[in-house]
Amino acid sequence: MKRIRKLGERRRKRSNVNEQTPPSSHNVSSFHFSLKKNIEHIQKTLGESSDIVIREFKAGVDGSMHLAVFYTDGLADKAMVQDFIIEPLMFDIRQSDLTSDAFQNKSHLDILKTFSIASGDMVPIKDFDIFFQHVLSGDTAILIDGDAEGVAIGSRGWEDRGVNEPTSQTVIRGPKDGFTETLRTNTALIRRKIKDPNLWIETKTIGAKTHTDVALIYLNGVVEPELVDEVRERLSRITIDGILESANIEEHIQDETYSPFPTIFNSERPDTVAAGILEGRIAIVIDGTPFVLLVPALFVQFFQSSEDYYQRFDQGVLIRLLRYISFFLALLTPSAYIAVTTFHQEMLPTPLLISLAAQREGIPFPALIEAILMELTFEILREAGVRMPRAVGSAISIVGALVLGQAAVEAGIVSNAMVIVVSITAISSFVMPAFNMAISVRILRFPFMILAATFGLFGIILGLIAMVLHLCGLRSFGAPYMSPMAPLIMNDQKDAIIRAPLWSLSSRPAFMSENKTRNQTPSPKPDSK
Amino acid sequence: MKFIVCRLLPLVICLITLTSCWSSKELNQVAIATAIGIDKSDDGYLLSVQVLNPGEIVSQNPTSRAAVTTYRTTGGTLFEAFRRLTVEAPRKVYFSHVQKVVFGEELAESGILKTLDFLSRDHEMRTDFLLVIAKDTKADELLKILTPMDKIPASKMVSSLEMSEKNWAPTHTVKLDELINTLVGDGVEAVLTGINLKGDPEIGIDMKNVEKVDPPTTIQIGNIGVFKGDKLVGWLNEDESKGFNYLQDNVESTIINVPCSENSASVEVVNTNTKLKVQLRNHIPTITATVRIEGNVGDVECSTDFTNPKNLEDLENKVENDVKDKMEKSVKAAKELNSDIFGFGTLLYRSNPNEWKVMKKSWDDDFQDVEVNYEVHATIPRLGTITESFQRKGDD
Repeated sequence: MKRIRKLGERRRKRSNVNEQTPPSSHNVSSFHFSLKKNIEHIQKTLGESSDIVIREFKAGVDGSMHLAVFYTDGLADKAMVQDFIIEPLMFDIRQSDLTSDAFQNKSHLDILKTFSIASGDMVPIKDFDIFFQHVLSGDTAILIDGDAEGVAIGSRGWEDRGVNEPTSQTVIRGPKDGFTETLRTNTALIRRKIKDPNLWIETKTIGAKTHTDVALIYLNGVVEPELVDEVRERLSRITIDGILESANIEEHIQDETYSPFPTIFNSERPDTVAAGILEGRIAIVIDGTPFVLLVPALFVQFFQSSEDYYQRFDQGVLIRLLRYISFFLALLTPSAYIAVTTFHQEMLPTPLLISLAAQREGIPFPALIEAILMELTFEILREAGVRMPRAVGSAISIVGALVLGQAAVEAGIVSNAMVIVVSITAISSFVMPAFNMAISVRILRFPFMILAATFGLFGIILGLIAMVLHLCGLRSFGAPYMSPMAPLIMNDQKDAIIRAPLWSLSSRPAFMSENKTRNQTPSPKPDSK
Repeated sequence: MKFIVCRLLPLVICLITLTSCWSSKELNQVAIATAIGIDKSDDGYLLSVQVLNPGEIVSQNPTSRAAVTTYRTTGGTLFEAFRRLTVEAPRKVYFSHVQKVVFGEELAESGILKTLDFLSRDHEMRTDFLLVIAKDTKADELLKILTPMDKIPASKMVSSLEMSEKNWAPTHTVKLDELINTLVGDGVEAVLTGINLKGDPEIGIDMKNVEKVDPPTTIQIGNIGVFKGDKLVGWLNEDESKGFNYLQDNVESTIINVPCSENSASVEVVNTNTKLKVQLRNHIPTITATVRIEGNVGDVECSTDFTNPKNLEDLENKVENDVKDKMEKSVKAAKELNSDIFGFGTLLYRSNPNEWKVMKKSWDDDFQDVEVNYEVHATIPRLGTITESFQRKGDD
């Protein structure tokens, strides 16, 4: 494992070397004084793309101000550009005498900035690089003839999905809003939940081509400062053409690549992310995806749903225990079945053994092959169910349930017991609220099956020991992955496998916050008289 | 990474392929044995093994084939006979689910100790099976009888043994560890319950046997067989068997029938507790058996009014006498067979180890002199769901 880590580091170093050679997409160059030349340059650079609107006109009573407005059709809010940028420029300025005393010592740009543009979000732009960044993000840029400087006015407003109910990690009780693809909406959703001045949002751009906005959100004074530095450092290491989903970031900053277990948590739910931030975690919001990353992530976190805290605590406890049970069911049911039926028949009660033996009569395959066959079939069905067009969904369920389940049993290819085993495995794996942990279980099931077929329960135990050792060796941004179990932190047990009543959760989890004490009513009981 | 893969992959491949799933056995490659019968034969042992036909047992639409098959082999040693089974059985016979081992009476009379070594040594044996004796017949015959209700004759026998031990008392289930302990232990002799074959064994092996409402041939749980050393020396009758179980504190529940005015009444024993104490008087061991019995009035077939405490007390006395009588009978029978099945010797060893050292050699004779005092206390706190008998109403 150490070797793997070293290799990873070496690889990282190599990529650092690549970083030195700057990406030469277009030259960093400042504006010309001539608007005409600027427009030419812009058109050339953009390849005269059809979605770039360039509106050139003259302003002022005498038409002495020659300027051009640039925006990207579809990304900029057209009504806003029309009402608050073009209209004042074309009509209001036309009426004013630019040569009058009031404007005497001011450049055209200053006049625009000071008197004409009715927008709160305005930044000066000095070179083409920034110009393109703004215009291609939906802002509107204004360049004036005779000025080697322009302004960019915030006019971003494109069609988006709106805030909908999240499709993953759904809850019965709890807020139903979900993140969207727009970074600003997402940060707003978090800000709406935590209205504290200490909620700091740091934004940076990643992606040589996509220029994707990435925001770090954390609660200053709660978060461990080194953790923020670490996240910043890891993010700054990323050199990549494009970030299309938070997974692209996740893979670059996660601690362990060669592990089936996810070391970064993601969520579509603002309440889950807000809860994480309140505990001292850092949220990484990436523009263009509703999935927000949360670091550091602990093993137990993947078994927690925000609803655990919205239902009464006893239900929370029960449901969490259920999730751990189903984790082991999903991981071990097929392998335990294989081990017991091929190695340890003496462990079964006689009537059960007879029933299993009767089902195995005439099955042509060994239990391992039978299990792999069925598991594979199920995995294919599941994958097909996710990817195929919605309209053919019912066809899959018919084929899956009837043809593969019933017919395979009737044809004597698989036994009924195996169908039950695969079903319980499948259902159990859906219990986990975090989909990426469910995938880990899916992957690990197969090695466990092979171990079971080779060594029986002994093999399963060996596999489990190896898995636990691996888990204990994992870290997520400095936090031991298995905490609060390994290392054992008694205080954090209250919100790990079980969920204690909220009033007793008076401290934040270890390893992620510098300020451990949480504001919590010590006891909810009214004063007894 | 490449380095690791290059090193590990061959190892993993070797591990998986060369070990070839060592000792794995698919369920459809084993024949599950449920009962073993051991008889004496000319050249050693006659081994009969009852093997399940699982498809037939759980099948929704059963065919006319029997649910179990009995294979028979002989061998000089038990192990040899077991391995010779492979020439008869189509699959490897799997012994972990053996529910009972039956000794033929003839074998039991000539000694069973030698057979037990294999049964407890072999790793496949789970040693939680019951051991019984085929009374007046061969184990082989017994294993061939088909039984109604339970398709597996072995589990029929085991469950009726357990049921009768729990609810009727004159039987006693013995497992391997207990048998070995009593066989090799000092101051105690072994017992095994007998199984009777009722009816014609020839009809019993036919499916027709289970097609009838009243099967002509059945298997019955019998009474307790008494060993001296590892040899069967005699049988207790029902009363004596019950007395034996009272003394051994084996009774969970039973029915005690007592006379009651012109007819009789039954008491359902729900709880018993027996304590044995040994005292030495002039080097003669005296055993005091204190038995506490709790029972309910279960069946009143006379006109006695048990709501009257005096009558109830009378009933309690009768119960006490009945239990005492049975225990006396069983001790008498054991003395006649000269076999200390109650473990009085062990009791003595525990309380007076030094005395036992002396007596050990002559225990066979000394056992005859053992006196047993019985102190039986019966309480009948409940009358059941009705208080007065219907017959009383008729009398009024």
